[in-house]
Amino acid sequence: MFQKSTPPPMDTEYHAPTSPDNDDVETVVGPSVHVEGDFASEGNILVKGSVSGNVKTSKLLTVEKGAQILANVRAGSAHISGNIKGSVKVEDRIELTSSAQILGDITCSILVVEPGALVQGKVMMNGVSIAGGEEDGSQRSAVRTRRSSKQEDQEEQA
Amino acid sequence: MYLYLYDNFLRSRKYDSLLSTIETRLTDFGIAGKIIRLQHLTNAESVINEEIRRGASTIVIVGDDKTFGSVLSKAAVCDVPFGFLPVGADNSIAKVLGIPVGLEACDVLSRRRKVKLDVGWFNNRYFVSRLHIPPSDITVEYDEQFKVSSTKGKIELVVCNLQPYTWKSRKSQDIVVHPQDGKLEAFLRPVVGKGIIKEKYDEPSIFPFEEMVVTSRKPFVVEADGKESKETKITIKLAKKRIEMIVGRERKF
Repeated sequence: MFQKSTPPPMDTEYHAPTSPDNDDVETVVGPSVHVEGDFASEGNILVKGSVSGNVKTSKLLTVEKGAQILANVRAGSAHISGNIKGSVKVEDRIELTSSAQILGDITCSILVVEPGALVQGKVMMNGVSIAGGEEDGSQRSAVRTRRSSKQEDQEEQA
Repeated sequence: MYLYLYDNFLRSRKYDSLLSTIETRLTDFGIAGKIIRLQHLTNAESVINEEIRRGASTIVIVGDDKTFGSVLSKAAVCDVPFGFLPVGADNSIAKVLGIPVGLEACDVLSRRRKVKLDVGWFNNRYFVSRLHIPPSDITVEYDEQFKVSSTKGKIELVVCNLQPYTWKSRKSQDIVVHPQDGKLEAFLRPVVGKGIIKEKYDEPSIFPFEEMVVTSRKPFVVEADGKESKETKITIKLAKKRIEMIVGRERKF
C-alpha cells in the first residue's frame, strides 16, 4: 500500500513474439497522440490519433475509427475507418469502411466502399479504357456521396 | 586470444556446473582464454583496452541482458570483435542474436560468424539494449520532420535497439514490431490517469527513427542500459555498424 508508485517496466505489458505471421506494423500513432509535421515511413502505418501534416508510405496505411489526418496522404494501399481532410493518393487498393469520411480527392487503382462511407471530392481511378468516353480514363471521376445517391433515388421515384 | 568477462552474479553456486561444462567445451574448441570477473565498479572500457594491449583479439561477455548492455555501452568504442555466452534467465537479446542460452552458445562462438551491429547513442553515451524515460512532460521531435506530443499530459518513452517488440492487443491480434535495419524504434505511452496503485497508460505509439530530440522544461530521468541520469534535452541517434559481434545463424535481423 505504501510502496512507491513507479510504473512497471514497459515489457511487463508486452509479450514475447509468438507468431511471425502476424501483421507487421512499423509505425503506430496512438489514440491520444498528436503528430505535427510531415510524416513518412518505409513500412506500414497505423493511425489511431491525429496527424496534422502529410503522411507518406509505400506500404499499407490504416486509419482507425476516430483517427484524423489533416493533410495529404500517399500510400501503397489504404484501409480507412477514420477522417481525412486532404487528397488521398493510393497506388493500389483503398478500402473505406462505414465510418470513413474523406474530404478531398481520391486517386487509386481499386476502390472498395462500404455503405455509410462519406466522400466529398473527385475519385480518379487508373486503368479505365472506355472508347469515346467524355474524359480520359485516368481522369474519370466517380463521385458518390450519401446526399447525391439520395437525390437520385428521389428523381427515380418522381 | 580470447578474453571472457564473467558477470558478478555467476559467482553463485548454481552456475558452477554449467560454467565448468562451458569452459571444458571452449577448451575442446581451442578458444579458451583469460577470465575476468566483473565487479560493480569495474570499468569495462578500461579493462578491455588494457587486455587488447596485452593481446586479446576477441572479447566474450558471459552473463545476461544486463551484462551485455552494461559492458557494451562502455566498450562500444573498443575496436575488437565481441562474443556473447548467455547464462541465466533474463536473456532476450541472445535470442535476437541467434545465440542459444547455455552450453550450445559455445558452438556459435567457435563458428565466428561476425556481423556489424548498430548501437544507440545519446549525449556522448552508447546504449545497446534500451533507453527509458519514465512518464514526464516531454516533447519529442523526430528526424527534424515532425513533432509528437500527448493530448493528455505526461508521456513515457522507451527506445529499443536490438529487441523486437510485441504488444498484445486486447481487441485484435498481436502487433509485432521488428527492428528495422538502420533504425531505432521508439515507443511512446501517454499517461491517461492514475489508478489506485499505478498510472494508467494509453495504447503505445511506435515510431522508427534515425535521430530524435527529447526536450522538457523540467529535468527528466533517462535510464540507458541500467544507468540513470537527469537531463533537460537529449539527442538520440543511431551509431551505424559500431560493434562487430559474433552471431548465430538463427539471428532475427
